[in-house]
Amino acid sequence: MSPRTYVPAGFLVFLLVLPHLLPNPFYVHIAVMMAVFAVLGGTWNIIGGYGGQLSLGHAAFFGTGAYVSTLLVNAYGISPWITLWLGGLAALLLSVPVGIICFRLQGPYFAIASIGLAEALRLLVLHFRDITNGAQGLTVPFKGNAPWLLQFDSKFPYYYLALVMAVGVVLIVRRMERSRLGHYLVAIGQNQDAAEALGINSSRAKAKALALSAFLTGVAGVFYAQYTYVIHPDSVFGLGLSIQIALVAIVGGVGTVLGPVLGAVIMEFFIQFTQIAFAGQYPGLELMVYGGLLVAVILWRPRGVIPWFARLYEGLVARLPAARGAQA
Amino acid sequence: MDLTTILQGLLTGILMAGIYALVAIGLTLIFGVVRIVNFAQGEFVMIGMYATYWLWKLWGIDPYLSLLITMPLLFCFGVLVQRFLFRPILHAPDLAQIFMTVGISVVLMNAALFFFTADFRSVKTAYAEWALRLGGVTVSVTRLFAFLGALLLAGLLTVFLTKTDVGKALRAVAQDREVCMLLGINPERMYLLAVGLGAALAGAAGSLIVPFFYVFPTVGVVFVLVAFVVVILGTLGSIEGALLAALIVGVAESLGILFAGADLGLVVVFAILVATLILRPSGLMGQA
Repeated sequence: MSPRTYVPAGFLVFLLVLPHLLPNPFYVHIAVMMAVFAVLGGTWNIIGGYGGQLSLGHAAFFGTGAYVSTLLVNAYGISPWITLWLGGLAALLLSVPVGIICFRLQGPYFAIASIGLAEALRLLVLHFRDITNGAQGLTVPFKGNAPWLLQFDSKFPYYYLALVMAVGVVLIVRRMERSRLGHYLVAIGQNQDAAEALGINSSRAKAKALALSAFLTGVAGVFYAQYTYVIHPDSVFGLGLSIQIALVAIVGGVGTVLGPVLGAVIMEFFIQFTQIAFAGQYPGLELMVYGGLLVAVILWRPRGVIPWFARLYEGLVARLPAARGAQA
Repeated sequence: MDLTTILQGLLTGILMAGIYALVAIGLTLIFGVVRIVNFAQGEFVMIGMYATYWLWKLWGIDPYLSLLITMPLLFCFGVLVQRFLFRPILHAPDLAQIFMTVGISVVLMNAALFFFTADFRSVKTAYAEWALRLGGVTVSVTRLFAFLGALLLAGLLTVFLTKTDVGKALRAVAQDREVCMLLGINPERMYLLAVGLGAALAGAAGSLIVPFFYVFPTVGVVFVLVAFVVVILGTLGSIEGALLAALIVGVAESLGILFAGADLGLVVVFAILVATLILRPSGLMGQA
């Protein structure tokens, strides 16, 4: 067995036993959030990295998933296992007109419209408080350990669910990268006019990428609502979340399969570290540091940290011996 | 709803349009010359507002007088931003450029939160409550001053761009960098000037608005979203377009607040953006 097989396999085993190695539920929570942001960074990357269309409003899709699901669960008692898909579908439907309107145009229109979309949704959710409960947000009624309601009294099942989603997104992105759509997007990213001349319908390809990204982001939003039990307009539709989602992909490496995963791990470490170090005493300091990090990455590591890790991994694989006995 | 209320809403919208135009002109100037979409433009306004506030609070300098300080201050700030943050990414992909400006915006916004706390602050002047009465409609003097000041600055900028050699060179660089270099115009210096001017206009908007608007760390978000819609509706790069679009957006927002509720003003602005992108993405001044 070559190191290229057993190193990833070993890492997967490590991820499976990880929560049992962690000393307390707080660390499991960090691991869950890492997986959630790996999902979000990965889905953002589909349109932001591969599609080259910078979204600064992915919270719009996340929040739509979270709100649609929680409203359906509360009003009709539908199982979250079903609303998980409905939330994703709602986000996808929201993305369709956005894609049709913005991708006919070249320029910064999508970035601006995406911020506006998330902000408009946030204000609408705040305004129609009869339905959405306004600024107080919505809560998922707590039913104890109820697996069929996607509720668990331990953090472990959430961790495994988030892990499945993160691995799923990685596999989807990898598959998309090698698909016709992936090649189209890369071609468009390099030279849109040349791609169009070869018969690629660039707005259609981008709209497809956005729909896929929105759907998966919406699903992640539903998971988040179920995991935290409470959602607010500011927390799920806020500009801060949109920037954080994009930052994960940028720090890791845009347009790469594993970049956002790496970015999520690094950013979440960073967030927890700053929260412990500053203990919320200095409002603004954390985000100031993120903003600074963003500027620094753009200036000095525009391809993210993934090239470093790729080199590290290659070096490791080259040095490790092939495992004996499994050669056949 | 009676006619007076609607007229009052219209007027409030028109007067606010001056400020929106000023922020948007700064944005469109930077975009036109340097080709960078500056998401930190709202934070430039925020800096102008805090500078005006502290000048008043610490030394009792009148907000209108402080224009003489905030505009040069923001000009220098813009020059530094161009020199150290924009210049390295001038030829980078759009993604990197937008993210650079978003990063600057996040840093500035949260630096304000860190240093000045989330408190809403306001400047209290003797003339804050002065108002003119025209029939049943009230015209706030501070809002009128903001509108007139904005128009004056926009006019001065237009004269500068059309009548002076430096202004003409600036417009030439916006049209074609390479040819300008052949003609002996140094584009790097024009970039410094463009971002400096764009920031100075934002600073002026900040000073003009402080007499009737709260100062708080995230105030820039309000302006930047509106300014983007104004710039797109008025065609990227066009100053006359920005003025006209600011009028439309200001009035629409004000009437939206009147009819739909105070918290939905920005939703109306977003609706204008969507309508523009569908019906006339090149803006009012562009070819259909």
